[in-house]
Amino acid sequence: MTSVQLVVRNPSGLHARPAALFVRTAGAFRAAVQVRNLTRDGAAVDAKSILALMGTGVSAGHLIEVIADGPDEAEAIEAIREAVESGLGEAVG
Amino acid sequence: MRLSGTPGAPGIAVAAAWRYAPPTAGAAAVAGDISTRERLEAAADEAVAQLDALAAGLRAAGLDEEAGILEAQGLMATDPALLGEAMRTAELSGDPAAAIRAAGEAAAGILAAVDDPIVAARAADVRDVAERMARILSGTVVRPPDEPSVVLAEDVPASLLAELPRHLLAGLALEGGTATAHCAILARAMGIPAVVGVRGLLAAAEHARQVAIDGARGELVLDPDESETAAVEARRAEAAARDRAAAALRGCAGATADGRAVRLVANIGGPADVPRALAAGAEGVGLFRTEFLFLGRSRAPSEEEQLAAYRGVLEAFGPGRPVVIRLADIGGDKALPYLDLAPEQNPFLGVRAIRLAYSSRELLLTQLRAISRAGAAAGVTPHVMAPMIATLADVDLFDGLRAEAQASLEAHGLAASPALVWGIMVEVPAAVFLATELARRVGFFSIGTNDLTQYLLAADRTNPALAHLHDALQPAVLRAVAQVVAAADAAGIEVAVCGELAGDPAGALVLAGLGVDELSADAGSLDSVRLTLSRVTSAEIETLAGRALAATDAARVRALAGELLERDATPAR
Repeated sequence: MTSVQLVVRNPSGLHARPAALFVRTAGAFRAAVQVRNLTRDGAAVDAKSILALMGTGVSAGHLIEVIADGPDEAEAIEAIREAVESGLGEAVG
Repeated sequence: MRLSGTPGAPGIAVAAAWRYAPPTAGAAAVAGDISTRERLEAAADEAVAQLDALAAGLRAAGLDEEAGILEAQGLMATDPALLGEAMRTAELSGDPAAAIRAAGEAAAGILAAVDDPIVAARAADVRDVAERMARILSGTVVRPPDEPSVVLAEDVPASLLAELPRHLLAGLALEGGTATAHCAILARAMGIPAVVGVRGLLAAAEHARQVAIDGARGELVLDPDESETAAVEARRAEAAARDRAAAALRGCAGATADGRAVRLVANIGGPADVPRALAAGAEGVGLFRTEFLFLGRSRAPSEEEQLAAYRGVLEAFGPGRPVVIRLADIGGDKALPYLDLAPEQNPFLGVRAIRLAYSSRELLLTQLRAISRAGAAAGVTPHVMAPMIATLADVDLFDGLRAEAQASLEAHGLAASPALVWGIMVEVPAAVFLATELARRVGFFSIGTNDLTQYLLAADRTNPALAHLHDALQPAVLRAVAQVVAAADAAGIEVAVCGELAGDPAGALVLAGLGVDELSADAGSLDSVRLTLSRVTSAEIETLAGRALAATDAARVRALAGELLERDATPAR
């Protein structure tokens, strides 16, 4: 199992479009991927479900934990980290 | 009958009324040979295909954001939380259409309960996608109106707007919804007049045949009589005449009717904004935000990369249209991996902009070197300004950085601009009170009314509960502007305003009346500001400014400016 903690910088948090990119990124791997909103102290949810992901209520500046478990878990974590840090398709600051 | 709501998208139309109601669950679909599970899967695949096709159409029309919304809906269609739930229910009930509607409602309920308005607003998207799948399952389709119509509804799915043929969509009026809902955003992008949040709309419109809608005013008239139709048509003709008059003025410099020049320049956020600014007739750039070079990356941009970006913009505008480059306005709210900034309680009152010179001197020196080299390469004198100046020591710091950047270019034998016009942002209240002394040191002032308002009124700009305090027409802000202009005049330097107020016709009249030399706004605002100024005299706006300074609240100032704007609306000259 591999995990990483990341700060989401998107000005409107993980709303529809950035969430879609997050889910697509997670969905490309065989590993099971879960996300937890640490700022809200939320439960871990399936990162391959856009509805579950949006339901975690991640706003700008929130800290999330991404947990991957499976044969390609390290690659999954790396790809998600890269995607989140580069703004999930949005300009972030 | 006249109704009013919140403006959703500007525009005026008179057209047939078309009531849209989401199809309700019909008779349970007949069970075929395939299982309910497979039928739901097929419906999800069909929904994804439809949404992808709609998204591709929007993307081809340049509506990338709107396309992204539909693509996200495609993901929802196959989402385990929606499809999986519907499959479980459908196996028991045997009615897949009802099951997907129920699952959509449940998922929407979860999102709506999230303590974040942006996520909560996405509940409508989930319902929309579930509804689409239900329609596919029961074989019903929404029949489009027969003639161009104003859509009347409680709420409409954003995908419906994308789906209906554009020529049939004359307008949109919703009983629910907000100005930030997806369908309002989409209506603005598609140029369809829209009014949202119209209380009592559906009850009142039950038998309406015709609708007149004025999106900018947030008004609609059901079954307008002859005089009401004539009034709306007259407003539409007036708006069209204004657009034509503005287009005709586009090549002219900003000035009042009696010839007092007010330079109209654009705010840009990067080279991508340059073509729009040039097309709008901008006489230069009053605010070139450079943050785009610094954000969303793991290393600071190199001097060469910055040089290329600045040079391109300077060359596009050429020597006759000055470009004011603002040093990076970044700080603790941005958490850049290459800047070692400690997290702060109040980043907008923290180590940002010029204050970075203490901890990250090299970052600002590199930027100043790149600006100077860009000016030399483009053959123009670059203008540069520092944000967040609060004291004379800040000016000394900026001056020192500027001199050091020039000296280091010379030492390395790199071509530097022989001259650099340097000025400061006036946005920290302290700078207003020191304006007399600051004006003797710098080449120009640029008042950032957005931040100045936030700091003067101690009201966080991002907090919607304080919207009433964010109006830059607050007399306190205007009196600050007047002080800054007086100090600049005494020292013989120019004053620009680069906040949103500069692009608001009412604000532009007051600011020009207060003696501001340059207004810098989004390219999309320049037409209306140019036209507004061309229809008033300098004496009229000076009188307006005098009254505004004596006013005690923003509403009064807006009303005073409104009188001048209204008079201008009846084309007397």
